[in-house]
Amino acid sequence: MELLEALGINLKILFAQLVNFAVLLFVLWRFAYRPILNILKERREKVSQGVQDSKAAEIKLNEAKDKEKAVIIEAKKEAQNIIDEAKERAEKKKQAILDKAKEEVGQVINAEKKKIQQEKADTLKSIKADISGLVVLAVERVMKEKADSTTDKKIIKEAIKDLK
Amino acid sequence: MELNISLSPEILFQIGNFPITNTLLWSFVLSSFLILVFVIPASRLKLVPGKFQSFIEMLIEGAYDFVESIIGPGVKARRVFPLVFTMFIFALVANLAVYIPGQAAVTINRGGEAISVFRAVMSDYGMVLIMTLISVIVTQIVAIISAGPWKYLGKFINFRNPLKFFLGVMELIGETAKIVSLSFRLFGNIFAGEVLGAVVLFLAPFFVPLPFLFLGLLTAVVQAFVFAVLTLVFISMASEIETVEE
Repeated sequence: MELLEALGINLKILFAQLVNFAVLLFVLWRFAYRPILNILKERREKVSQGVQDSKAAEIKLNEAKDKEKAVIIEAKKEAQNIIDEAKERAEKKKQAILDKAKEEVGQVINAEKKKIQQEKADTLKSIKADISGLVVLAVERVMKEKADSTTDKKIIKEAIKDLK
Repeated sequence: MELNISLSPEILFQIGNFPITNTLLWSFVLSSFLILVFVIPASRLKLVPGKFQSFIEMLIEGAYDFVESIIGPGVKARRVFPLVFTMFIFALVANLAVYIPGQAAVTINRGGEAISVFRAVMSDYGMVLIMTLISVIVTQIVAIISAGPWKYLGKFINFRNPLKFFLGVMELIGETAKIVSLSFRLFGNIFAGEVLGAVVLFLAPFFVPLPFLFLGLLTAVVQAFVFAVLTLVFISMASEIETVEE
């Protein structure tokens, strides 16, 4: 006990020091460590959340870019299709118009040909009729003036003259 | 000029019949200082911290990570951290307060004797003893909780065979010796530092004390750290009794 006395150990002071330390411990724990550790945890969670979010955003952005590209390619393809189709259709129409025009031209030509044929036939008929009349007339005349050959000749000449 | 070195802290004044020693006074002052430093920024925490908040957070997070690295993460670290960190920060501030310039010159006159108002808190054996007792008692409580009371007792008192009995006695001595070794390590270092500082200052007041001051500074940090870490290790060992024995 002499040692304790020499070291200055006094129960009252010991108790005061115990209380002091206990109060310090409690106050620091309750009002400093706990809130600080909590906020550290909170911040860590927030940061990791933020990192995760940014990663997700990046992935989404890439997806959107891919989608955009796909859409553009699709659109280009479609446009090409439309152009091709239009070209094809135009070609077809052109062909059709040409065909029609040819046909019409052919028809007109045919009609004209027929007309010409008809006219020719008519002309020939009328010529034949005229000739037969003339022949009958000539024959009659020949029959009338059979006597001399000169008249004969004359008649023929006249007939030819008439013919002319 | 005379050099008086007292092993016990000096009594400054008395309130009623309650003696206030210089170390007790300083332990109050330093506790208040610590409470101010930690509680004020902790009461206005922001998610985006300012400089001082960052500093406090860095300190606490670093200490917490260290505690986790020794005792393992989870609820154990969360329970033991406040005790260990308070011991560390209190001992550290108490030891570093010695280096406030001019404090040694402040004295009061009591009964015709000049008593210095300041004395390193950890050079009061009573204060160190209280911290050591807290450390050892908490260690025993942790051991009882983690091993169960019968197994805990069986560690010390075992009549199954002479060897185990002997080992039990050794264990008992070891636990008791912890009180002495833990407390006298801190007390001895700081008290010796005080005495050495006073002696050197008495012999050669200029420049010569500087290396001793630096040595003392190192001791101040290291001893505070050692005390807290030993407590942490004791508690950690006590909490792992079961897993080690089986």
